[in-house]
Amino acid sequence: MTIPEKASKLKQWQITPRAQNSRLWRIFSVILAFLAALMISSFLLLTARINLASAFGALFFGAFGSWRAFMDTLARSSPLILTGLAATIAFRAKVWNIGGEGQLIGGAMAGFLAFTLFSGLPKPLFFLLVLLFAFAGGALLGALSGVLKVRFNVDEIISTVMMNYIILYFLSFMLSAEGPWREPKSYYQQTVLILPEFRFPVLFPRSEVHLGFLVALFCALIIKILLDATPLGYEIRALGFNPKAMKFKGTNISKLVVVTMLVSGGLAGLAGAGELFGVQDRLVMDIANGLGYTGIIVAMLAGLDPLGVVLAALLFGGLINGAYRLQTVTGVPSAFVDAIQAIVLLCVLASFVLSRYQIRRVVDVESDLSSSDHS
Amino acid sequence: MEPLLRVEQLTKRFPQALANDRISLEIFKGEIHCLLGENGAGKSTLAECLYGFYKPDGGHIYFKGKPVKLSSPVDAIELGIGMVHQHFVLVRPLTVIENVVVGIQDSGFMLDLKQAEKRLLKICETYGIHVDLQAKIWQLSVGEQQWVEILKALYVGSELLILDEPTAVLTPQETERFFATLKQMSCQGLSILLITHKLNEVKQISDRVTVLRRGKLVATINTAEASKAELARMMVGREVIFSVQKTEAARKEPALEVKNLRARGDKGQEILQGISFTLHRGEILGLAGISGNGQKELFEVLAGVRRAEAGQVWLEGEEVTNRSSNFMMARGVGHIPEDRLHEGLVPDFSVAENLILGQQRSALYRRGPFLNFEQIRKFAAMCVSTFEIKTPSLAHPTRFLSGGNIQKIILAREFTQCPQCLLANQPTRGLDVGVIEYVHKRLLEKRAEGIGILLASEDLDEVFDLSDRIAVIFKGQIMGVFDAHAANIEKIGLLMAGVKEEQV
Repeated sequence: MTIPEKASKLKQWQITPRAQNSRLWRIFSVILAFLAALMISSFLLLTARINLASAFGALFFGAFGSWRAFMDTLARSSPLILTGLAATIAFRAKVWNIGGEGQLIGGAMAGFLAFTLFSGLPKPLFFLLVLLFAFAGGALLGALSGVLKVRFNVDEIISTVMMNYIILYFLSFMLSAEGPWREPKSYYQQTVLILPEFRFPVLFPRSEVHLGFLVALFCALIIKILLDATPLGYEIRALGFNPKAMKFKGTNISKLVVVTMLVSGGLAGLAGAGELFGVQDRLVMDIANGLGYTGIIVAMLAGLDPLGVVLAALLFGGLINGAYRLQTVTGVPSAFVDAIQAIVLLCVLASFVLSRYQIRRVVDVESDLSSSDHS
Repeated sequence: MEPLLRVEQLTKRFPQALANDRISLEIFKGEIHCLLGENGAGKSTLAECLYGFYKPDGGHIYFKGKPVKLSSPVDAIELGIGMVHQHFVLVRPLTVIENVVVGIQDSGFMLDLKQAEKRLLKICETYGIHVDLQAKIWQLSVGEQQWVEILKALYVGSELLILDEPTAVLTPQETERFFATLKQMSCQGLSILLITHKLNEVKQISDRVTVLRRGKLVATINTAEASKAELARMMVGREVIFSVQKTEAARKEPALEVKNLRARGDKGQEILQGISFTLHRGEILGLAGISGNGQKELFEVLAGVRRAEAGQVWLEGEEVTNRSSNFMMARGVGHIPEDRLHEGLVPDFSVAENLILGQQRSALYRRGPFLNFEQIRKFAAMCVSTFEIKTPSLAHPTRFLSGGNIQKIILAREFTQCPQCLLANQPTRGLDVGVIEYVHKRLLEKRAEGIGILLASEDLDEVFDLSDRIAVIFKGQIMGVFDAHAANIEKIGLLMAGVKEEQV
């Protein structure tokens, strides 16, 4: 139907779903989301009577303001990239792995096992074995939940969360007074200190950015290629969109779910190795410290895109890092930063919905008709 | 004479399309009026506007000469407009009377079922409707359930009854009886708007017919003044070849043998109760039956996605009972599933990705550990051109294509992968006439190539047109297998309703 010119003043606005996501609009809506998050966070800070400029200044400078701060941010983002990737690959398949936390612990424990077994080997081989063990440790836990799902129809959300507790208490046992890994004569639940020569090498002098960061970047690239350009990635994506059609077209869904959980758990496990050999330098009870759960947020923020995960993890690493500065400068409790993180997430999620719609000007049909009747 | 319902310049716009473009329509008292059009022509949208379910963007509706604004179905019901949808809204454990009374505004706190029964009996008597009012819904056949929906509309005093494709769930005999009753209802002064895409029904029952095409009104004419071919031309916009050009069957050795197959449905019920038949190469074996009698489950067992509890399946002389879908696919069994969007492909994938679904690990589309995008694109481009798939690009998300093009993607994929036999469940349901013709042509080509095709369809005309032999399925059993030219439609219809030959 052609729209007569004279009806143009009777146009109205209408919100309609977009046929296709435009990339530009998506980026724009994310920027919009950050601005919105900034505004809402400002209100929050104002309620605490905090000077906004100094608060956000501290947050920013603490995160990216100096070489040192930037290095710390990179260091903090490494485990988040890995746990974020773990959530990404599982969620793309619509397999809800909430067990990143436990799989990280599993990876750290397997890494420590490798440390006790192979510390005599040449360093490159030693690090390779540590990474391999860490991946296997997380993968084992993940795959176990996968098997429970396909064999016994146990919901993976429940089983992965339960695994988080099981592995945590297993760690607690290993570090208990009776446990084999407890540091002799220590008051704390911890293993012996890992000597500097066995720690992950540092990438830049006088920084905490260790080998784990490179591993994380490498994994992001691998997962990107895996998802986009391999048959397995094709199947994982298809599983997320429509498992039924996959089953009808000859794919073994059960195997696919287990493989997905295996890779997902393995990635979280690698994060555990980085925390053990690059940050904590010993196995402690809070080795995971919420990194597994934050990975889920990072993955959602990244729109389940592996390269986006790197950016989102940098942002979250920066927020965590900047929070220390914010605390020292303004004296607000660190809970504020948790709140700001949540606000960012909510705004970005809302923007994903936004980017699926478009606002169009349409002609009011009724008046259009009456006007065309006259002509 | 003032029409009961007058629609003027009604327009309804959806984000992607103009569903109704300035449609005008008049329905008189006691008239049976057909609304004819292909899928997507805007029939249902128009009906939903008249029932207050959609709010039109423009135009006017007059009922008994007075302009009305319908903001919800409640308004329509109060005026006296009732509608029966394709999907029934009935409470299965309750009786017919209870279902009719439930949800009526003035029924009060306590239900007066005695009073309701009296009124319902009167309605049934007036119009010649035969339904056991005390029966529970789950005890009724689908055809009877439809009558309950109609009773619901009549009970609240509808003067205009809108029926959306009511014969889709009926056997030929049930359709006959249904139409006879509709005639009687119209003689009593009830107006009926019947939505359909079947030309036979239009000719058989209606006084007048309004034809829609792509959201636009083509014409309203007296049914008696138009031939079937003319109606078809108005509906489709070009000449339609009715009879399928079919060569003599070259029936060869058996491709697929099914012996005493038993399987359970999703709810654990025994849905297949000993199915046996043989599908030969170079023939089309039609499976006639009302949907829900085990067709879907039979196809799933044969495709390897549902377990058979007993019985055997033989493919080319090899037993393949309960082998995986992967195995069946590799042996050249193609499957066109009933629910093309949920079982046939991944709607969020691109056209190209869907065309290789199931073949993603094949060496054809791989280069080392990676997908060979160049090869995939080449193959997809070939499919798009040979199967006339209309898509903006190979990377276009499949869910934005029309049903016909989606079905063509599945056909292209299955045809290139099935050297032995093809399982086609409802391959043309919901498609436009043009695409249906195309699918038929392609199926017959495959048959000429010597492939055995098992074809299930609710459309008896389709089964008769295409099949060399016809098997009738009822409640998970094969009621009989007939040569297509020896079979007659009445007999098949009776068997579809479960009436055995001896009882006839």
